[in-house]
Amino acid sequence: MATLIIDGQEVHAEEGQTILEVARANGFEIPTLCYHPQLEPYGACRLCIVEVIRSGRSRLETSCTHPAWDGLEVKTRSPAVIEARRVILGLLLSRCPNVPVIQELALEYGITEPPFPAEDPEEKCILCGLCVRTCHELVKADVLNFSQAGVERRVGPPFLEKTRQCIGCGACTIVCPTGAIEIVLQQAGIYKEKPLGPTAAIWVPSLQAVPNVPVIDIDACIRFRQNDRTEGEIADACGVCQMVCEAGAINFDQQDEVVELAVGTVIVATGFQMWDPAQLSQYSYGKSPNIITGMEFEHLSNAGGITSGEILLADGRMPERVAIIHCVGSRDHNAHKYCSRICCMYSLKQAHLVRDKTGADVYEFYMDMRAFGKGYEEFYERVQEEGVAMIRGRGAEVEVLPDGKLRVKGEDANLGRLVYVDVDMVVLSTAIEAPHDANQVAALFGLSRSEDGFFAEAHPKMRPVETNTGGVFLAGTAQGPRDVPDTVAHAGAAASMALALMDQGEVTISPAVAVVDEELCSACKTCISLCPYTAISFIEEDNVARVNEALCKGCGTCVAACPAGAIMARHFTDLQILAQIEGLFRVPA
Amino acid sequence: MPKLKSLEELQKLRQQLQGDIKARAETSTTITVGMGTCGIAAGAREVMRAILAELDARGIEAHVTTTGCIGMCSREPLVDIQQGGEARVTYGSVTAVMVPRLIEEHLIQGNVVQDWVIGRVAG
Amino acid sequence: MAERYRADILVSCLHDRAPDLIPNLKAEVIRRGLKDEVRVIEAGCRGFCSMGPVLLVEPNGIFYIGVQPADVPELVEETLVKGRVVERLTYEEPTTHASIAYYEDIPFYSKQERIVLRHCGLINPQSIDEYIAVGGYQALGKALISMTPEEIIDELKRSGLRGRGGAGFPTGRKWEAGRKAEGETKYVLVNGDEGDPNCFMDRALMEADPHSILEGLIIGAYVVGAHQGYIYIPYEHSGSVKSMRTALEQARDYGLLGADILGSGFEFDAELRLGAHSFVGGESTALMHAVEGKVSEPRPKHIHTTEVGIWGRPSCLNNVKTLSIVPEIISRGADWFGGIGTETSKGTQVFSLAGKINNVGLAEVPMGITIRELVFDVGGGIPKGREFKALQIGGPSGGFLPASLLDMPMDYETLADAGSMMGTGGVVILDDRTCVVDTARYFLDFLRDESCGKCTSCREGIRCMLEILTRITEGRGEVADLDTLETLGHVVKSVSLCGLGKTAPNPVLSTLRYFRDEYMAHIEDKKCPGGVCKALIEYYIIEDLCNGCGACRRKCPEAAISGEKKEVHVIDPALCIKCGICFDVCKFDAVGVR
Repeated sequence: MATLIIDGQEVHAEEGQTILEVARANGFEIPTLCYHPQLEPYGACRLCIVEVIRSGRSRLETSCTHPAWDGLEVKTRSPAVIEARRVILGLLLSRCPNVPVIQELALEYGITEPPFPAEDPEEKCILCGLCVRTCHELVKADVLNFSQAGVERRVGPPFLEKTRQCIGCGACTIVCPTGAIEIVLQQAGIYKEKPLGPTAAIWVPSLQAVPNVPVIDIDACIRFRQNDRTEGEIADACGVCQMVCEAGAINFDQQDEVVELAVGTVIVATGFQMWDPAQLSQYSYGKSPNIITGMEFEHLSNAGGITSGEILLADGRMPERVAIIHCVGSRDHNAHKYCSRICCMYSLKQAHLVRDKTGADVYEFYMDMRAFGKGYEEFYERVQEEGVAMIRGRGAEVEVLPDGKLRVKGEDANLGRLVYVDVDMVVLSTAIEAPHDANQVAALFGLSRSEDGFFAEAHPKMRPVETNTGGVFLAGTAQGPRDVPDTVAHAGAAASMALALMDQGEVTISPAVAVVDEELCSACKTCISLCPYTAISFIEEDNVARVNEALCKGCGTCVAACPAGAIMARHFTDLQILAQIEGLFRVPA
Repeated sequence: MPKLKSLEELQKLRQQLQGDIKARAETSTTITVGMGTCGIAAGAREVMRAILAELDARGIEAHVTTTGCIGMCSREPLVDIQQGGEARVTYGSVTAVMVPRLIEEHLIQGNVVQDWVIGRVAG
Repeated sequence: MAERYRADILVSCLHDRAPDLIPNLKAEVIRRGLKDEVRVIEAGCRGFCSMGPVLLVEPNGIFYIGVQPADVPELVEETLVKGRVVERLTYEEPTTHASIAYYEDIPFYSKQERIVLRHCGLINPQSIDEYIAVGGYQALGKALISMTPEEIIDELKRSGLRGRGGAGFPTGRKWEAGRKAEGETKYVLVNGDEGDPNCFMDRALMEADPHSILEGLIIGAYVVGAHQGYIYIPYEHSGSVKSMRTALEQARDYGLLGADILGSGFEFDAELRLGAHSFVGGESTALMHAVEGKVSEPRPKHIHTTEVGIWGRPSCLNNVKTLSIVPEIISRGADWFGGIGTETSKGTQVFSLAGKINNVGLAEVPMGITIRELVFDVGGGIPKGREFKALQIGGPSGGFLPASLLDMPMDYETLADAGSMMGTGGVVILDDRTCVVDTARYFLDFLRDESCGKCTSCREGIRCMLEILTRITEGRGEVADLDTLETLGHVVKSVSLCGLGKTAPNPVLSTLRYFRDEYMAHIEDKKCPGGVCKALIEYYIIEDLCNGCGACRRKCPEAAISGEKKEVHVIDPALCIKCGICFDVCKFDAVGVR
């Protein structure tokens, strides 16, 4: 515990404190620019100068760096100090004449005009180093540092080039006392997948996400990137999210867990993905930020999105005319031949939203209006009454005009004429298709795929939720395009069939199944890949193939294929079949 | 270069090395050999070499310098020996054979070899 | 090793002037059959810079200057064979024009007391054997074996030795603080980053006598209790780097660095650390940052580096000159050293003489020498007999002293009181044809480039002071500027973070103190009394003296001079760019400046 005298008053200081800390704790005002309580003191701006008297000698020292030793006498507003601060503020003002915070401080000390000419009147940076120290000590991204020396000194990333090390955390902008750093949003990002603004590394994927909790993108998160970059040496960078979470719900040590379950019933509900309209160049997708897909429109119009639900063009204006084009990528021999089923209804809904929110003129280019469900046709009528122009004829082409407007061309089949309309925004109702990894899922569960790419059900009419592989069921759009009510019904059916199966405990199966003679099996594994019902497995310990009788449908493929003749089809052995043939050909006596 | 393991070893090394820079060291003895044209013609170079060899062999510290013609050409080679505050003694018609005795008697024992002296300059 | 040469020729100062001189000498010596009698040695800097290449013939003590390869045959013939002096190669005393052949008679050397420079130019610096032969490392032995660290500290304190790096802090106290500092691991450092633009003595010492520095360093390590030393030299100073590196290797070979030095049980080793040269790089905390591998930037020194230095450990930094003095004090005693110099400043100072002076070079003289003695006796006076105007001492951190102080004895205190500082001893002499305002501006310009830029007062303050001075030299100054300079200068001095900023205003403040009238001449009369500031001067032909030889007309790069042969010439001010070539060329002093 040390005792000092500040401006005639006795104060006490803890071990390791600086004069500035003690002074401020006791209510003395000392101006600072380059000081921050969370960072190591730097002593660059020189504003916190005080007079320090020790052993009879008086010196001007920076209070932010000077330790609060026992027996010091400090004067925070003596004439020498005031004069020094006045001159320093004059110098700072001469460097940055147009920075408000410096102008105010200078005014307090009686300076209204910069006393010296400025080299760059628009200069805002006072080289205080707060951003550098923050980036190095707190965020530990080490993006910013000083370069050059003397009056040429400046702050920035290496060679003043953009670097991927900067993740836009914004800490430097917060800590800069003069507002010399700002974060610039890149406009093209407005319609991208992540709706919650510029890339925060921890985010809730969407407001309707289930579970509705944030997730950390470890490719963007500073902590994980530093850990990778330094091979584990810096493992504790940033961590701000953990610091502020009151529930203590953030755990950086979680690892992927591989869980092995032995199950007898599987429901495949892997859903769909949106088809990419860039594959058909006539729609000009990607050539203008105002040509968006139906899914992107949903993001835009969502109250939790970046525009808070307002329908806006990329430059922030409201559209005056909007075109919606159906069947983009569906019912198309150059893309998908099938109808995606859901688009007509959501396109109508989107047209309704546009009218409601912006009052813009809406033009719908459609081939057939598929309003097949309960209340669907009624909704279609209502939307027409709202004044949405329905043009029966596929929107054939979208052209981006030089002034940014979009020209949609098509045939109005009712009028028998080619028509075009110039609009501000085009919404493409794109096809839905099987996910890109459908092949891998199919291989895992022994599923086949129908012509449209979705998984094949056992029978299109009679058995929509079962597959040819026993115990494996399909639910929802994994099997084909369907909207929400239909998906709910489909999934319910799959669930009940699965439950029924599990509930049985025992299954009755046909005895006409294949059996492997394990003495003869040579472990060539030919039968395993051939079985359409994934009924044969390879048993490692015994080095043989074995048929799962519950799955085997008795098709006989493996029997025919086995090169060793080790598989027998029960009740369909060679002898039995030959006997049957012989019987057919016997001449009656 | 063996490492020096003690101050004594350093001092011994110093003594050993001092001979190498003896030309720059202070000594009280200077031997001057006349090397003007007359001197060289009379064989002063051999005398010089003999002196150097003798000093080396006996480990004597002395400066050896040259001088030009002093005018007594007929008596070349001339060799001056000046020791400390003593008078400077000039020997004449010196040959290489005479050198060991000069060094022994004059330098080491302090006795001037009178027979060969031709001149003396007070110290 | 058993060769006993009768003559050693010590050659110094080759560099760009005569790189072939030594091979030439050696070849001639062989040719004349003197190979076994005469040895040619490349020695280090002799400090007589304006006269190089120089040659010292021992044991004769004959000193030759300005020797070129063409002179070699005559030199060998006359001096080495015939023992005669070659007069045209000897030093010529400027006023009497007498030729001085013997080294000890040359006033430049005879008036010096060479302690730091004791071996410079007299031994082969790349040979540890020669250093040992002249008594090197004896002091180290004495210190390690028969003295305790406390005894050495006492001896240094009694001697009054102060650090020669510029600050002049008592070395005994510094080493005592280092010894008392808490911590097991301590470091000793050598500051080889000579930053003053007009100083060259550290370089000379490192290149000419590296072992003396090492010896002092090892003694220092013993006193402080350090086992690791760092020698910081900018990598641009390649001569010094090479010299110190060789010295380190040789010392290691002889066991003078490493474990159990001279059987004392003391272990110590040192290594070179190279950095990028900058003026601020010589500041102690900036240097320590550089040794740590960081940028050469200073930090506040509320806590001394002897307690918290490199990597937070006690570190003792000394200048090369200070270290080279230590072995002499150990050998010859504190009383001997204390007997030289003044009451507060003991011993000698190595001054580097530059500017308008005849004997440009290094002169080591006792502290307390007057300016007059230094400039006129040792320095040989001002060329062309011009008038003395000022002595600038302390480099960019120092001040100007006018003619009225010519008889002032120079030591740390007197110089500081006079508004200047001793610094590392860099001295620039100004005559009546130099402008103090312009010279102050020159130093500020240097400092503006060398400032690290960390603290506002130094970075912006120097820039603003420079702007004012530039305006004044261009004739756009105002009287109010002088007060601004004073105020700004005093604040920058008291508020800046490190020594660079704290001393940057010195050139300006000291010239304002002693030469205010020159400033006023620039501001009010729009004239430059020194005839330097281009915007304020005019070159003209003095009609009475011009005889129409036309030399100036021919040399003028702008063809601004016109005139017929044998008729008075005339300079056209509109074309004249004030380069001053006509002034230099005219043999009749017919060109004037006003």
